[in-house]
Amino acid sequence: MIEFKNVSFNYARSDEASVKDITLTINNGETVLLCGESGCGKTTLMRLINGLIPHFYEGYMSGTVHVDGMNVSEAELYETAVKVGSVFQNPRSQFFCVDSTSELAFGPENMGFPEAEILSRIDKTVSSMGIRSLMDRSIFDMSGGEKQKIACASVDTLNPQVCVIDEPSSNLSLEAIEDLKHTISEWKKEGKTIVIAEHRMYWLKEICDRVICLKNGKILFDVSMKEFRTYKDERLREHGLRSVNEDLSMIPMRAEPEENGVITLEKFSYSYKKYDALHIDRLNIPRGEVIAVVGPNGAGKSTFSKCICGLMKGFKGSASIDGKRYRSRKLLDRSYMVMQDVNHQLFCETVMEEATLGMNDENETVAREVLDKLGLSEFSERHPMSLSGGQKQRVAVASAILSDKDIILFDEPTSGLDYCNMEKVAELIRSLRGSKTVFVVTHDPDLIRRCATCVLRLEKGHVAEFNRGGENYGEEEKCYNTAV
Amino acid sequence: MNNDTYNPKKVDRGIILDPRTKLLYLITITTFALGGAGGKRCEILIPVLCMVPFLLLLSAKRFRTALVGIILFAGSSVLLEYANALSMGGLLYYLILGSCGILGRFLPVVMMGRYLMESSTVSEFTKAMKKLHVSDKVIIPLSVMFRFFPTVIDEAESISAAMKMRGISLGGKHASRIIEYRMVPLMTCCVNIGEELSAAALTRGLGGDVDRTNICKIGFHVQDYVSIILCLVPWALLIMDVII
Amino acid sequence: MDGVMTRKKTTEKLGGKDLINIGIYAAIYCVIMTAISMLGFIPIMMPMLSVLCPLIGGITMMLFYTKVKKFGMITIITIIIGAFLWVTGMGYWPFIFGIVCGVIADLVAKMGNYSSKKMTALSHGIMNITIFGCFLPLYLDINGYFSTRTSFGSEYVEALTKIFRPWTAPIILACSFVFGILGALLGMYFLKKHFEKAGIV
Repeated sequence: MIEFKNVSFNYARSDEASVKDITLTINNGETVLLCGESGCGKTTLMRLINGLIPHFYEGYMSGTVHVDGMNVSEAELYETAVKVGSVFQNPRSQFFCVDSTSELAFGPENMGFPEAEILSRIDKTVSSMGIRSLMDRSIFDMSGGEKQKIACASVDTLNPQVCVIDEPSSNLSLEAIEDLKHTISEWKKEGKTIVIAEHRMYWLKEICDRVICLKNGKILFDVSMKEFRTYKDERLREHGLRSVNEDLSMIPMRAEPEENGVITLEKFSYSYKKYDALHIDRLNIPRGEVIAVVGPNGAGKSTFSKCICGLMKGFKGSASIDGKRYRSRKLLDRSYMVMQDVNHQLFCETVMEEATLGMNDENETVAREVLDKLGLSEFSERHPMSLSGGQKQRVAVASAILSDKDIILFDEPTSGLDYCNMEKVAELIRSLRGSKTVFVVTHDPDLIRRCATCVLRLEKGHVAEFNRGGENYGEEEKCYNTAV
Repeated sequence: MNNDTYNPKKVDRGIILDPRTKLLYLITITTFALGGAGGKRCEILIPVLCMVPFLLLLSAKRFRTALVGIILFAGSSVLLEYANALSMGGLLYYLILGSCGILGRFLPVVMMGRYLMESSTVSEFTKAMKKLHVSDKVIIPLSVMFRFFPTVIDEAESISAAMKMRGISLGGKHASRIIEYRMVPLMTCCVNIGEELSAAALTRGLGGDVDRTNICKIGFHVQDYVSIILCLVPWALLIMDVII
Repeated sequence: MDGVMTRKKTTEKLGGKDLINIGIYAAIYCVIMTAISMLGFIPIMMPMLSVLCPLIGGITMMLFYTKVKKFGMITIITIIIGAFLWVTGMGYWPFIFGIVCGVIADLVAKMGNYSSKKMTALSHGIMNITIFGCFLPLYLDINGYFSTRTSFGSEYVEALTKIFRPWTAPIILACSFVFGILGALLGMYFLKKHFEKAGIV
């Protein structure tokens, strides 16, 4: 049982409390979905359960949190670790060891269990989760979905009574989400108490029994899943929630096709250790459109993005824009990638400096216009790293526009975003349509329906489908529904 | 119970040496080949010791590394002989001498270090240190360091890519601030990832008072004993030298 | 705001978080150090290590120093850096230097309560003397070493001794110390200019 009694918490750096006077009881064996817009206090609540608050994140706290009768704010973290297991959002930063077997052993090793006991625990987890093929492998070589499986498995070897799972699907493909769903329902069958914080809720509607929605650090509603499912989409959007009955079809929006010519990709092929990672002989991309690049893990999406941005060494293909041919590395001058971790591409001390950095002749008036259009003008003197994730993305886009690039590629721009922020990204991408050719690599059907005008589906390095919205609509729709 | 869940020997790594043996090799090679201890008595042994890392690398199927090492090592020796034979003089001679001298001395040790890093898994290494009674206060940071190397390199590569797209390069107009442009995002990204990593590790019980277990299996085999004897010879000679 | 500030009980013992921090910063530092030594591709450029490593490494280390509150963290990170240099082929001297310099640097920083800027800079300077350890074997007993290499000829030994003349040793030593202090100042400048604003301090 998890019991919150009048809990408030204020991070040391922040002026406002993240959760305010929360009183809440979660019974044994319950599976609870925590939802709410970004910054509503979901993550804070999770950290209060696993003890990271107050032991890791410092701040002002009042009230008490008990898990199974133990006061987690007073207990040491390694005592809490036996009772509460945690899975986090980012698969690449939550493993401690280099190979998967050591990782599974890590928790029990910390507890000082005898060797035989640890081996039998690992064995049990491996067979119940069906991950024998992942054992004794370097975790660095795994896909996001596989990493997340290892994260779940390493929680499983400690066999905690309570599991807290913080936005686990943000970086996963639809297929990997299905696997995760399976793992969680196994835990549920074992009678564990599970708390999941999520923005995308469609995959949890059969698993969770109870839904708690937070707003500004307070509980907005606390209802059964059965009741929650009757809520209309409009009501959910008011609270910044995505639809619980999310439509998974990846159909581009219907837009009047604009005739801006085409970009012709030729010999877009790349093989990695004799493995054909990407193989496109010739493809015409309508210029000025928004093209969603979709496909399962390992389909060649990231190879495709690197090639089109001219970042792939040893890549021999070319792209013709306006009849002018750009070979491999020359594409660097024409295209720009907005990376998933946008922190990689912010270098300067102020937003203005950042915007003018790539310009041929640094012109502040032009830069100001663009910043204005992207809603960044009030931040022009702020440090780019001090902005929010969405604002950082806009700064990166601003610098792409100002350095006069033709092609802008977004790499998973909406992972881990709530409804409102996803909508904002879609709006930003829509605003680029016409002037730039935009590629969006994504797993998010919601985003595709809101901003993409074409869908390029890759499978095993080949083009499985290229669909322009509004053309052959009926037939394509059928195809996509079966594909997902 | 199925005991083959953990078996580092599954991966083909050539001759399996205990990490402690590898460390002994490293200490011996640094002392005698690099440090030049032992004087004339060890003269014959030193080339033998110098060849060990190359042979080990070959056995671990690191052909490229071994080949590059051998070529550099042999090349620098030949170049030295050649320069001597021609009794060259002047600046060029000093440059060749300096470069080759340093290469010849450091290369075997560098290769041994390379072999040590590439052929042992982190868990083998931690287990070995545990057996050598190294404190957890050193073992834990070291294993985090090994875990974090690929991450730092990954981040640095992404940042290079981003810099290329923005046209920031050594030849460009922003060359003077290139260190700043590289370091600021690198530090920010690494610190953020590090924070997440610590949080995840702590929720899984790291840092408790109990003695940590380590399920990795290491131990001495024939090849280890042979190596240990080989390493002990120069040490014995050195001690004899001091005593007599 | 009601409630209590939940700052952890200030135990002198190093906790899991501290140990992980040491590992993370050691990894960043070692990668940077390796990258710099790649720049000095020509072996004769090696002495440049004693200038560039303390200077650029200072940016990383000053961030690390902001996380240091207890005795032992600086000692351990210096020992680890020394061990890394040893394992990558710089001989055991950096390791020995690492232990000695680490403890002294830690004590100096402790005297400034891990917050005084002057003491931090001094501590960083001392810590970087570890790098001098890499060059020590080139000065120690150079004749003894080369007497075993008779095939190289006497001119070779003479020439090499000329390059690594004994008086250059204190210069490299001083370089690593002075640039350690300068690196600390550069690091502090970056802290203020970037990292505090980015919210990672």
